[in-house]
Amino acid sequence: MALKRATRATDIGDDEADVPLQAVLLADSFAQQFRPITDERPKVLLPLVNVPMIDYTLEWLASAGVEEVLVFCCAHAKQVTSYLEHSRWTSQSNFTVTPIESRDCVSAGDALRVIDQRNVVRGDFILISGDTVSNMSLKEVLKEHQERRRKDKLAVMTMVFRRSKPHPLIHQTRLGNEELLLVIDPSTKQLLHFDSLKEAGGRESARQQTLARQVVLERSILADRPAVQLCLDVQDCYIDICSPEVLLLFTDNFDYQHLRRDFVKGLLSDEVMGNKIYTHEIFGDYAARIDNMRAYDVVSKDIIHRWTYPMVPDIRFASPETGIKIGRSNIYKEDGVVLAPTTVIGPSTVLGTGTSIGDKSIVRNSVIGRGCTIGSNVNIEGSHIWNNVTVGDNVQIRHAVICDGVVLKSGAIIEPGVLLSFKVVIGENFTVPAYSKISLVRQRPEEDSSDEELEYAEAASGVAESPPSPFYDGRVVNGSPAHGGDELPESPRWDPSEVGIAGAGCNWSAGQDEEWRHSVAPIPSERIREIVAREEEGELEDDARDMTASSTNDNIAEQVDDDEADEEDESAFFDKEVEALFRRAVTGEAGAHEDHVVLEVNSLKLAYDRSFSDCAGAMFTALLNLASERPHTTSRDLLQNCRQVVVQWGPLLRRFLKSQDDEMEVLLVFEEICVEDNREFAPIFASVLQELYDKDVISEEAIIAWASEKQQADESDKVFVKQCERFIQWLEEASEEDEDDEDEE
Amino acid sequence: MVGTMPDVQPLVDEFITKLNRRQVEGSLDTAKLALVLLRQVISAQRIPPNSPANTLIEAIKSVGVRMIAANPIELAVGNIVRRVLHIIREEDASLATTVVTGVTTAVDSDDEDNLDIREQASSHAVAAANRSVLRAPSLHNLLESMPNPIRADVTVASTGDSDARSRSGDKNSRSWKLKHNVIESINELLVELQDYHSQVAEQALEHIHQNEVILTLGRSRTLLHFLLGAKKKRSFQVVVAEGSPRFQGHKLAKELTAEKLSTTLITDSAVFAMISRVNMVIVGAHAVMANGGVLAPVGLHMVALAARRHAVPFVVLTGLHKLCPLYPHNPYSLLNDMKSPSEVLDFGEFSDCLNGATGGPQCHVFNPTFDYIPPELVSLFITDTGGHNPSYVYRLVAEFYSPEDIVLQ
Amino acid sequence: MRRSPFLLFDPSLDNSSSRADSEEGGMAVNNVQTESSPFYDERMGLNSNLLTGPVTFEWLSQAEDARLNGSSDAFQPFLDKAAQSAEAAMNGDHASSRFSVINEFNIWRQKPELAEAVAAIKALTCVIRRSEATTMMGLEIELKKAAETLKMWDKTSISLSAGCDLFMRYVTRTSALEYEDISAGKSRLIERGEKFGEISLKARQTIANLGQEFVYDGSLILTHGYSRVVLALLKLAASQGKRFQVVCTEGRPDNTGLEMAKELMGAKIPMMLILDAGVANMMGQIDMVLLGAEGVVESGGVINHIGTYQTALVARSMNKPVYVAAESYKFARLFPLDQMDMSPTPRIVDLAVPAQEENIKIQTSERDYTPPQYLTLLFTDLGILTPSAVSDELIQLYL
Repeated sequence: MALKRATRATDIGDDEADVPLQAVLLADSFAQQFRPITDERPKVLLPLVNVPMIDYTLEWLASAGVEEVLVFCCAHAKQVTSYLEHSRWTSQSNFTVTPIESRDCVSAGDALRVIDQRNVVRGDFILISGDTVSNMSLKEVLKEHQERRRKDKLAVMTMVFRRSKPHPLIHQTRLGNEELLLVIDPSTKQLLHFDSLKEAGGRESARQQTLARQVVLERSILADRPAVQLCLDVQDCYIDICSPEVLLLFTDNFDYQHLRRDFVKGLLSDEVMGNKIYTHEIFGDYAARIDNMRAYDVVSKDIIHRWTYPMVPDIRFASPETGIKIGRSNIYKEDGVVLAPTTVIGPSTVLGTGTSIGDKSIVRNSVIGRGCTIGSNVNIEGSHIWNNVTVGDNVQIRHAVICDGVVLKSGAIIEPGVLLSFKVVIGENFTVPAYSKISLVRQRPEEDSSDEELEYAEAASGVAESPPSPFYDGRVVNGSPAHGGDELPESPRWDPSEVGIAGAGCNWSAGQDEEWRHSVAPIPSERIREIVAREEEGELEDDARDMTASSTNDNIAEQVDDDEADEEDESAFFDKEVEALFRRAVTGEAGAHEDHVVLEVNSLKLAYDRSFSDCAGAMFTALLNLASERPHTTSRDLLQNCRQVVVQWGPLLRRFLKSQDDEMEVLLVFEEICVEDNREFAPIFASVLQELYDKDVISEEAIIAWASEKQQADESDKVFVKQCERFIQWLEEASEEDEDDEDEE
Repeated sequence: MVGTMPDVQPLVDEFITKLNRRQVEGSLDTAKLALVLLRQVISAQRIPPNSPANTLIEAIKSVGVRMIAANPIELAVGNIVRRVLHIIREEDASLATTVVTGVTTAVDSDDEDNLDIREQASSHAVAAANRSVLRAPSLHNLLESMPNPIRADVTVASTGDSDARSRSGDKNSRSWKLKHNVIESINELLVELQDYHSQVAEQALEHIHQNEVILTLGRSRTLLHFLLGAKKKRSFQVVVAEGSPRFQGHKLAKELTAEKLSTTLITDSAVFAMISRVNMVIVGAHAVMANGGVLAPVGLHMVALAARRHAVPFVVLTGLHKLCPLYPHNPYSLLNDMKSPSEVLDFGEFSDCLNGATGGPQCHVFNPTFDYIPPELVSLFITDTGGHNPSYVYRLVAEFYSPEDIVLQ
Repeated sequence: MRRSPFLLFDPSLDNSSSRADSEEGGMAVNNVQTESSPFYDERMGLNSNLLTGPVTFEWLSQAEDARLNGSSDAFQPFLDKAAQSAEAAMNGDHASSRFSVINEFNIWRQKPELAEAVAAIKALTCVIRRSEATTMMGLEIELKKAAETLKMWDKTSISLSAGCDLFMRYVTRTSALEYEDISAGKSRLIERGEKFGEISLKARQTIANLGQEFVYDGSLILTHGYSRVVLALLKLAASQGKRFQVVCTEGRPDNTGLEMAKELMGAKIPMMLILDAGVANMMGQIDMVLLGAEGVVESGGVINHIGTYQTALVARSMNKPVYVAAESYKFARLFPLDQMDMSPTPRIVDLAVPAQEENIKIQTSERDYTPPQYLTLLFTDLGILTPSAVSDELIQLYL
């Protein structure tokens, strides 16, 4: 590997001597994951382990032998360009950085169209976004790509993937983006199908997902291929080797916005053009794109654990002038860090120069920027603290992101997943609730969290022109760029309930409900537990469906048996089957546990496409039959039997009574039985009903509703209602009573 | 200071970025490149007539400091910088003394008067001072002035004046002479580096005898040359431990078998089992510290201990460019290069163990490049200037480096 | 009695300077006949009657403040006696000047921050000032006598003899640079002598600078006894924001470790105090052992406060590095082969024994010799040296 890296830079040069190797770097993610921070500073300038993200990308490109980088700036274009001007990238030999500004782009698609118009791209180019961290060698992938191109002009793009097992329960990669499903031709490595599975959220989506797992491939894909490979454990590195045609394609179909959702899928879907996309899997090397907070956290951990070597904190590729030492268990300390004798520095921690930490403070698994002042008895765990942050005594910070110039008064508690934007002030002993985002910039009302929107806040206005990030020449100038709390247009009166007394900042309403998926905080275990639960339900649904399949089959078989099977018969079948099930349950046959009964009845329900009420009815009949079969002479002991049965099997029945209608259905069925099948129940109807009520199998509302419904019915039908008039009256009074009670309260 | 040589500046920057990106590997190549670069720096440096040495020294230092900072783990850079500085000092001093003696002889030929006596006295003082400048601080000059660069400058300057008084106008010639000499001796050093391998290989026959069993770990070019050198006359066996995680041993085994040497490849973990059958352990080194301690590919400390356990001589092949005048303060963290864990385990396979998202414990992977082997475990150093005992290393250091250069900042 | 190291390596024997040799050599020989110095005769006598008589509090307190102020003035009477007798022994005939170099030396020694060797050289400088020798040679001889007197007077003080040797060596070498007039030479020598104090301080600084590199964050350092150099080193390291902890032994019999502890507390360096006997018990957690030295001998080993040897042994057995910080003027021309090779250095020790029991022998040695193989590195103002490098330095100087 070392050798490879050694030779890398030179060899790429002579792979194609004629055209200099170009890269298009999108310095705008066209997404909103990093709001509200990105309202004040462009994402690519946010510090990742004390170095602006874009420097990782540029460093990698430079060391991988790219000669010209076209940086496309959109949001905060000024900040980005001026940063680049002042950075050392301008002074590099045989490595040029050319910024391309454009204001009115709202998506990667637009950006590429603009670039196409400018026609600055001369040959094959590497398309990445400015938040990519990688140390991969471009040598092989370029060679592969170019060879393919020689063979067939239609191989327009090579996407880089990397194996990474998604989380088994919450279906997302460790970088927090959703699980991918690829279909690849194992021999040619051609990409045949690209699909990102929707995240599992809520019972519905769980089911959806299980549906989504059933991937549908065109026959053409499978045609004349010995095998195709389905990959679920890959991670998209968002590193694409593109041919100039890609730009044309974007210009041609102006509706392409998103690189993956529109472009890739579009390309794969349209047969006419027949453009092909190929894949390249990297093994040893590292590559990841930071497109959400979790990714930010994970990648910085990877950097600290040196997966990105040589882009690690102690190799000062960004700001060589500050010395930094690495201690055991990945503790990185820049020169000029002042620690009290009793400070405890835990493993995997980075401390920026000029930072001082007080007595008995504990810092673990965290990155602390430059010029921070941290009091005593502070506990910092798994957090990202940027430059010039002031932390008072006895502050607790767990798994939070804290931007430049933030002030935490003593005793403040920052719960997991919190994001404090530039210069926010948190009052004394105030607790910032988990996953809240606080910024000095007010959240704009028309907040729609479609990540297809531009990441900038009124890029034309004050923000873009504001003094940009302090990262020039790595030296720490005063922390935060835009919007000093003083020069805020809005009322500087902040709500103490959001930031505590004497605090500054306003709380942003959470964008999507599932904050925890993409926040820096580790996923709380209870979340996982509920997901597991959901999953299992999902599974349930699945086997249910499977059984459907099976039972439909034998159902078909039966149909073969007697041709003129019609509706009633079918319902009869259904009822029989349910009863049979029930009997098995009663006689406690082969594992006929209550749940199983429920399960199977469910399956039957699906098979015969019945409603819950049908099941309820059937089940109830079964109950009564059971009762009537038990030995009895007088109606009294029949009632006795009914009591027993209800006591024993009421709960089971209850499980099919999802709604009031179901309950009414049961009542109707009961009537029916009393009228037709089994008249001996007629006399004891009322008492059974009461029994059902007492064992609350059937709710009073249902009964009342039933009764009221019966009012309009003709006399013959009212017989039973009459029979239990008193009972119903009593019920009505009771309900009225407690209504009154409620009124009084 | 650096600004005075615009033409080399880009070269320097390029080299530094290369170092920074770890694109220059191997101490010998690094040393050569660094030396060539410094030579360019010197030749590009225009020298003011008075105190020419210091201008050079400053120039080298300013470049050297940056080069060292770029990759502090590659000690060869620092060594070369210090070597060059030493060379400059030496040349300058020798010039100074020659000048002084020249003066005194001239004086003696004239008829005496007290001026000459003072002249003489001062000349003695100057000569003494110059000697002291060259010499490491020692009990000799403890009671004399502490030798420090500043004082050196003064004396040098004074000599400059004195010979200016005697024969004026040849200042430039002198500074030119200095530059010329320095570049000369740098070239010598360069040649030294070039035939370093052959130099070491020549000594192989003295150390490897017929039918011996040699054990080594990993691969080093020096070692390869050494073994091949021995093979010319002797037949012997080589046991190669693969040297995980980089498995350079496999490569070495290939090369040796290609040269028809009977070779056995073993895993690192089998070293101890093997060592009792071995006559000698020969390994290459990354650097030799001033106390005789060795920085060598990871795993060698174990091998050294195994060798000690069975009283097998542990021989280290090294060149003078690997001789570092520093002492290992905290070798395990400061002087070590922690490479990417991906060499050790496949990310894709373990990505779920590395997943901190669920707050559970993560699997951390640790991949150091070097071991520090304490001097007492080393039996012998074989360098291009012959074999040395670990306890002798400090003498080499004193010989090749000036004490005032050891700390450059 | 036992051979003393001075017999083996008397400076005057291998002294390269020309004429003086014959008589010097003679003197050296009859030095050897007098086994132990008059000063210690006095002291021994004192000890013996101390031990026979009951151990009184006065004695202990006396011994105590003897330590506190340079272990001298408590014995002032004896010192003076010793001085006389020594003078008598040395330059009985040459009693021209009533000035006693020893008193001079003791005056200098009162000064804190001034190592014995420095004091010795100061004393010798005074000798130069007062001498009315007319030639460099004369001056040289005079100095030699004075130096011998000093060394005779307290044979056991290594740094004293080391200092004398060093200065004498320098004198011979300067006079070798044949200065025309004595005044020039004298002034030069005096100037150097005066400077020496400052030089020694500078040396301490150099050592601190070199040594502090080895103190790394979060390390636990064991020291034994009191050493100005070690103290300077630790203070410097602390001032550089390094976070470390020091473990001090109490340093019996004269509790120099407590001194150390006090100083460290003053410097706000976290510190822990243990018994001398607790070293092995502590060693497991220790990261490095950092020692001072009274003298560094030619083998590269060190002679230091008693207990150093065992500390080094324990450290070695647990593979902890042992660093010694010592100024180069402590390099002494001795070659002890074992503990017995050092002349006895009796000391008042209050081992709680019933003094009536004459038949109890008490070993009261003040310092021990630590062989080089137990030392990792020496921090000196000549740079960081391996033990084997020390002999080199000495050889360079005296051969």
